[in-house]
Amino acid sequence: MTQTIVIARYNPEQDEKPHHEAYQVQSDDNTSVLDALQQVQQQDPGLSFRWSCRMAICGSCGVMVNGVPKLGCQTFLRDYPAGLVITPLSNFAVEKDLIVNMEPFLEHLSAIKPWLINTAEGTQPHVQTPKQLAKYQQFANCINCGLCYSACPQFGLNPEFRGPAALALAHRYNLDSRDQGKAQRMPELNAKNGVWTCTFVGFCSEVCPKKVDPAAAINQGKVESAKDMIVSVLKPSGAR
Amino acid sequence: MSSQQNGRRPYLPPFRRDWWLQLRFYRLYMLREATVLPLLFFVGWLIYGLYSLGQGPMQWQHWLEFMAKPWVFVLNLLTLAASLFHAKTFFELFPRVMPLAPPGLMIAGQWLGTVVVAIGLIVLLGGYV
Amino acid sequence: MNNGTKQPKRSDEPIWWALFSAGGVCFAVVIPGSLLSLAVLYPLGLISAEMLSYERVHHMVFEAFFGLGGLAFVGAAICLPLFHAVHRIHHGLHDLQWAHGPVAKVICYGAAILLSAIALGLWFF
Repeated sequence: MTQTIVIARYNPEQDEKPHHEAYQVQSDDNTSVLDALQQVQQQDPGLSFRWSCRMAICGSCGVMVNGVPKLGCQTFLRDYPAGLVITPLSNFAVEKDLIVNMEPFLEHLSAIKPWLINTAEGTQPHVQTPKQLAKYQQFANCINCGLCYSACPQFGLNPEFRGPAALALAHRYNLDSRDQGKAQRMPELNAKNGVWTCTFVGFCSEVCPKKVDPAAAINQGKVESAKDMIVSVLKPSGAR
Repeated sequence: MSSQQNGRRPYLPPFRRDWWLQLRFYRLYMLREATVLPLLFFVGWLIYGLYSLGQGPMQWQHWLEFMAKPWVFVLNLLTLAASLFHAKTFFELFPRVMPLAPPGLMIAGQWLGTVVVAIGLIVLLGGYV
Repeated sequence: MNNGTKQPKRSDEPIWWALFSAGGVCFAVVIPGSLLSLAVLYPLGLISAEMLSYERVHHMVFEAFFGLGGLAFVGAAICLPLFHAVHRIHHGLHDLQWAHGPVAKVICYGAAILLSAIALGLWFF
């Protein structure tokens, strides 16, 4: 059947600001938002959007569908009988059409050092028990799609906020038995723009395509930050 | 800037002041946050009650009459609803902040606490001991 | 340890968040029962006015167990809920873009401190 979809268009060389345009696409039960965008691209090769894997692994095809952040490959037209409006991810600057500048997200991500920090010498592998793995595994499923940043009003209000994915990954590495980098990450978490900008709106966890639950991670990070503050008071010489 | 030279002109729409009206999820969040507004009234009544209790039997009687006024009663019913909505959201968030036990168990345990305190206060104040 | 990179300043939010959390527990656990007994069952006559007589309540709040029961009630039903409320109002003002910055913060938490001091003073004197 034929369905109408509305897409936000923005050409930085011609347009003052984005505007909406309607397109007709052929759809059946299996037509994803990404499929529909590719159909529109056949009609108008100028339409720009990101995509790669088509199976919710790469995290490239994030867009807003009726105001909710979604992966285009994982969202189906059949679920929107009343029609859909596809706009670029909120809280990021639009470069062209559905493509946003993810640079601020990547800066926040690298600021919390989302990698194993371990200074142990030697060639032995870092052994980890299933129980130790289970502690952080849920928070390790992040694919860096950025949907949580578009879901987070606190990031929209304060772009300096480190944000859900970065803070969830900080928590993930802090919980990893092989990691020794917690002391390096805590100052970022302890800051106003670290965990403390979060007010547990919780929409980040709602939209996460990998069920990471960043809101839980951030609020567990608040507990860690509060403990860290107590330690710094009791041990003034060791703090900063 | 360099973004001008290479043809880039990123557009960042201003963040909407009415963002919280845009989605049901955000509206429920704001409702959760707003539960503290009626709470402030009840805390005010309690401070007034504590003051009255210190002033003597006459003033205490005034406070008891105040608490029975219809508009105070209706406002307090609203506050009771707010406190229960707050309790529901707060109890559900707690296991995610401190995952100490299975979430269902933690939520049930917290509701049990609310019920026990309520029964305790009713028994104590109602003189059912 | 920090490789000479500049570190952001530690936020004082843990203090307010801890008070907010404790107050949130009180709002959820102590306030419903308090409302139910004092503000619903009493006006409906299900808790008699005799049971809420001056002598009986005065004894419960100020005299029984050296007044410690009264102190616990003041803390759990007045002071901590106040800190809970002003924390949400402070963040709510930011959410609504009405106010943020030190002035709103001082007014919010200052009000909670002042009213808590008044409540504790009323219990003490």
